[in-house]
Amino acid sequence: MSYIVSPDVVKYACTCGLLKPISCLYFCRYCCELRCGFCVCHEVDSHFCGKCCENLPSSEARLKKNRCGNCYICPCCQQELSTRIGSKGPSNPEDPKSTPKKMYYLSCLYCRWSSRDVGIPDQGAATGGWPERENVHANRLQEVIEGYKAFITAQRQQKEREKKKQRGKFISYTDRTGVTAAALRKRIGLPAEVPNTYYRNRPKPPEVAIAREEVEDFPEDLLTKALNLMEITTIDQRLLQPDLQPTTVDKLFPIHKQLSIKRSLRCRSCEHNVSKPEYNPNSVKFKIQLFAYYHIPEVRIVTVEPLRAGKTAELILKFTNPTQHQTVITFLPLDLTDKGGDGDREVVGETQSLNLPEKQPPSLGGQPSSLLSLSSRQPSITIKPRPIRQATNCSIAIPGSKVILPPRDDAAEYDDSGETHNIQDDTKLVVWRKSNKAFVKLAVTPDDGLELNTEIVAGFTMQHIYTNTIATTVENKEPDRHDHNVRVFLSLGNLVGSE
Amino acid sequence: MELREINYNKGDYVETASGNKVCRQTVLCGSQNIILQGKVIVQSEAIIRGDLANVRTGRYCIISKEAVIRPPYKKFSKGVAFFPLVMGDHVFVGEGSLVSAGVVGSYVYIGKNCVIGRRCILKDCCVIEDNTVLAPETVVPPFTRYGGSPGMNIGDLPECQADLMVDYTRSYYQHFQPTKII
Repeated sequence: MSYIVSPDVVKYACTCGLLKPISCLYFCRYCCELRCGFCVCHEVDSHFCGKCCENLPSSEARLKKNRCGNCYICPCCQQELSTRIGSKGPSNPEDPKSTPKKMYYLSCLYCRWSSRDVGIPDQGAATGGWPERENVHANRLQEVIEGYKAFITAQRQQKEREKKKQRGKFISYTDRTGVTAAALRKRIGLPAEVPNTYYRNRPKPPEVAIAREEVEDFPEDLLTKALNLMEITTIDQRLLQPDLQPTTVDKLFPIHKQLSIKRSLRCRSCEHNVSKPEYNPNSVKFKIQLFAYYHIPEVRIVTVEPLRAGKTAELILKFTNPTQHQTVITFLPLDLTDKGGDGDREVVGETQSLNLPEKQPPSLGGQPSSLLSLSSRQPSITIKPRPIRQATNCSIAIPGSKVILPPRDDAAEYDDSGETHNIQDDTKLVVWRKSNKAFVKLAVTPDDGLELNTEIVAGFTMQHIYTNTIATTVENKEPDRHDHNVRVFLSLGNLVGSE
Repeated sequence: MELREINYNKGDYVETASGNKVCRQTVLCGSQNIILQGKVIVQSEAIIRGDLANVRTGRYCIISKEAVIRPPYKKFSKGVAFFPLVMGDHVFVGEGSLVSAGVVGSYVYIGKNCVIGRRCILKDCCVIEDNTVLAPETVVPPFTRYGGSPGMNIGDLPECQADLMVDYTRSYYQHFQPTKII
């Protein structure tokens, strides 16, 4: 619930130092690190139209300027336009029995704008065929774009040529003696040769735009005519069509709907995908889904007693194990040494050495050697972790005992028989448990001397045993089990006054 | 936050063999045209207009208080025709919302006091925030959050939205218990 509409009260610290709810985090199985949307590589998988749900190849999407060819949005209110049928007299006026001819027009069902308002003639076909608006400056824009494209290619060729020159097989001795072709030319009085082919093959630059000297006269009727605000477009409506920027409503024309994308996410340090959606735009399934929600135990606040400064209150948390393996949760005090720049590096280094012994430095060296050969893709840049800015003003009594969470069992929901777990719990810590969930009681004490209505934030480090199912080596068939630390921050609500 | 217990008076609700919990103070017109797939909760003063056309919900749907489920119509030259309304699994409809959509996918969350215009298509995994008015025939793509009036795309949803909704509707059903008489 809390992840759908309510504010996020439980946040996890991502490896990069940002605090996010668990639903927005990813867990890279190969690095055993949390990743968030800001520290993964985003790649566009496919383009699709949100209305007709049709996939477009990326080349076609680029050609259509990332807009759908068939769907339009209203230039007034930006809602989707729908095609209406308006029948016009019979197709054959002599024959009274002939069916009336169907004509289609576009209409907005929200603001009642229609293509008839601006005088677009009705169409005989339901889809397509709507007149496209040509920009008056289209030719000039095309000319400029092409000019610069030629410029870029020429520059690139020039660079390559220079590179070739440097790697020349034979060393020119004339360079050393000072008797170069240019010097000779100078001596005999010839004009200096244009030194390289770049200037010779220089592309023709686009025609320079020249400002007009005569300016249109100030239209008098701006001052004399009464202004009708109903005819003037709003800023939003103008900026929706940057190439036309209509000033009056009679120049509003339907706009092609912008395409949406599906994207896959890639871990920056190991280049493995953490999320890859299916190709079909309607599908909500994933080919690769390494979301933290499926790997890291989820923490939820169940109840918390009213918080008073310096007084201990009871906090009940719910832990859920989403994995197919049993895990053990240990509470550790929150590591807040990472306030400074240096301390931060240390903490990150520590967690890394904990998970992967002898891990390469978090730079490009982190790539597997097989991936280094993929030079076509730009190497992703690792983001330097930043210190966690969240301050805590509440202490949590760290319990010494551990909590065992059984594996998740989807069939448990249909099992009405009594619970048959034989887990020896510390009754002071675990209040209640059911299948893969446990309710844990903790004691929290807000700091002394806090003002009323201060937001109370508590934090702890949750250590859980993560079972990695990817076989790292051929001979090691046993699933790899190791401890993984996550820093969890809880917003417990505001401080209330004493009774 | 973990959901709190939601208690109801046992006499007010009818529980069917498939686990549907339907309040007695609801208006279910044309009940032969309403199919509740199982474990569906229909709360007090909700209206389902099965008399207009078929209404079919999936499993684990929650229709809150005073919500109206009304099949969409389309105007033709020779009058008006109603179309069936199909709802997927794990759908939550908030209090006082009017749903006149053609299709509501699975894992959809509709907030309070929304108006879902006629023949809208809500794809799987989308969220309509509280007090949204969706214009008729709007298509809401997957993993989007719509809000405002007129309803616009105002954000994205996390990729695990389907699991969040499954968890939410299941725990809502589990926490929806009759008041215990002591």
